[in-house]
Amino acid sequence: MAESLSPGEFSSSLTSSASLPPPRTRIFKIIVIGDSGVGKTCLTYRFCAGKFPEKTEATIGVDFRERLVDIDGEKLKIQLWDTAGQERFRKSMVQHYYRNVHAVVFVYDVTNAASFRSLPAWIEECKQHALGTEVPRILVGNKCDLQDSVQVGTDVAQQFADSHSMPLFETSAKNPNSQGGINSGNSDHVEAIFMTVAHKLKSQKPLVLSQPPAGSGASINLSSRMEDGTDGSRGWACSSC
Amino acid sequence: MKAEEKVNPYDPFRIFWLSLHFVNLYVYPSLHSDPVDVETLRRAAASKGGLLSNELRRKVWPKLLNINVYELPYKPGKDGRENHKDYNQVVLDVSRSMKRFPKGMPSAERAVLQEQLVDIILEVLRCNPQLSYYQGYHDVAVTLLLVVGERMAIAMLHTLSKYHLRDFMDPTMDSTKHILNYLMPILEEVDKELHDFMIRAEVGTIFALSWLITWYGHVLSEFKHTLRLYDFFLASHPMMPIYLAATIVLHREQEVKQTECDMAMLHHLLSRIPQDLPYELLISQSQDLFRCYPPALLAKRPALQSRKSLSISTFKDFQLSTLHQRPDTVLQPRHSGLDVALPYDGVQQRGKGSRMVKMAVWGLSATLGAAIFAVAQTAMEWAPDVLLQLF
Ligand SMILES: Nc1nc2c(ncn2[C@@H]2O[C@H](COP(=O)(O)OP(=O)(O)O)[C@@H](O)[C@H]2O)c(=O)[nH]1
Ligand SMILES: [Mg+2]
Repeated sequence: MAESLSPGEFSSSLTSSASLPPPRTRIFKIIVIGDSGVGKTCLTYRFCAGKFPEKTEATIGVDFRERLVDIDGEKLKIQLWDTAGQERFRKSMVQHYYRNVHAVVFVYDVTNAASFRSLPAWIEECKQHALGTEVPRILVGNKCDLQDSVQVGTDVAQQFADSHSMPLFETSAKNPNSQGGINSGNSDHVEAIFMTVAHKLKSQKPLVLSQPPAGSGASINLSSRMEDGTDGSRGWACSSC
Repeated sequence: MKAEEKVNPYDPFRIFWLSLHFVNLYVYPSLHSDPVDVETLRRAAASKGGLLSNELRRKVWPKLLNINVYELPYKPGKDGRENHKDYNQVVLDVSRSMKRFPKGMPSAERAVLQEQLVDIILEVLRCNPQLSYYQGYHDVAVTLLLVVGERMAIAMLHTLSKYHLRDFMDPTMDSTKHILNYLMPILEEVDKELHDFMIRAEVGTIFALSWLITWYGHVLSEFKHTLRLYDFFLASHPMMPIYLAATIVLHREQEVKQTECDMAMLHHLLSRIPQDLPYELLISQSQDLFRCYPPALLAKRPALQSRKSLSISTFKDFQLSTLHQRPDTVLQPRHSGLDVALPYDGVQQRGKGSRMVKMAVWGLSATLGAAIFAVAQTAMEWAPDVLLQLF
């Protein structure tokens, strides 16, 4: 168990699930992808637990983290899906979790040029899962605290982000307050980044949020899911392919 | 499913009594018989409590994998290891594996072991270019390294990679997915309602991925539990980790059904393994499940016919190959004993001064045995481990 969530983070959603039916909390599902070691686990942990994890471990498969936030008086649930970076996991494993995603966060490591060069492949992969430009996407350059070993300059990254119509954020999961950018005073920059995404999602048409993005098959209403499930083995095979 | 057992499996009397019996009556004679009685060793490793001490593990694990302790691979050199295609990934994963090492270990010592860990992984990969590294392989390697030391770990990892872990080491994870695909059919056989609930939630099986490919080493925080499971898996069919996964899900049936029927919630619930699982009970339940619904039976399902598992198809041959091992006393070359690489072992160090005691205990009469038995009462927590040091 790597960085498990603190109990507090999850309690609210757990209690709400126990007492049916909860006042409908909108859920924003955000997938975080990028090469192994760029800091996806640290970033998602930072956002959900409010601190840099002391020890992370390799992410095997998909980890899930969640946080309740309040935006303009509305309580929203932000689900972060932290994925394994090793290529072999993506091809046949992680696909399942690309479905019904509302936003994508691409991460590279500013001290590792190779992780930046992988971005086109990641973007392409997202497109294959019907996560194209209609889904909010942002680009995050992580590990900015390591200023002496920067390999990917802001200009290059900005150009790349522009060419893919994504906003760029440079930050550090380890030391997010050292940024001069969009954050005000000593607020947490990583938090601000994810909140920006949440704001963007909230400002979109509400309909989009409770349904999968166009193109990924709009069949998530309960009845059709149950039909899938009637034949056990078939339903299983479907859910994993 | 077996009913909950009335006997307390952790009763120190019972553990001590059983272990005395078990080591003297079964394990040692099996190790010394010619050929080695691997069948009995296997049963011992899977039976209640497992192999109980690392000292015993060092003797039994190699036999379970048909390894000659006097012909171990040499310590790998460092030349050119960074040219391996997986070098960066391995180093990254090993450097993030701090949690796998004993808590009090000085960081310098840990650093040495982490270096060895990188070495053994790359050495096995270098010898087997057809095998691909996967994140989680390092969790298996570290467990072996901490118990049996560098050279034996290479030998064991080599064998495991060719057989038990083979499916996970394809260039893609398709074969791994195929193995995971056995999970839901097992659940369906036992608890259709639970199965249907999980299908409805579309939770998938990735929650069990790290369990399967690391033999639970990645998710258990107590090393002793990992070791217990490694005893079990080393002695079992390569599909056993999936049966254990099914058992764990079934064990949490109530929790699962009370959770919102939603992929995220269920994935979250299931992927976090409770640290206080009744391992002995779950192990015996997994064995029951395996007997009732063996892989060959499940493989008849259409969903499982698309692929063949190499780990499954080579297992018979592997098992046969283990039946012709000579005992160490016969294998032992004339001036050796030095050849066996000494592993790190905190527990062993604790018991270093016990050589004299060891000899004495070997000659113990039944009366003295009873006296030690009494000591065991007062030594509840550490009784099994420390007492077994004596053997
Ligand atoms: N200096 C620095 N190190 C970081 C930062 N984020 C992550 N790391 C380190 O980078 C390594 C990989 O991080 P991790 O989150 O596991 O990467 P992932 O594979 O993308 O999930 C770990 O050793 C982290 O401690 C950061 O912002 N600054
Ligand atoms: Mg990670």
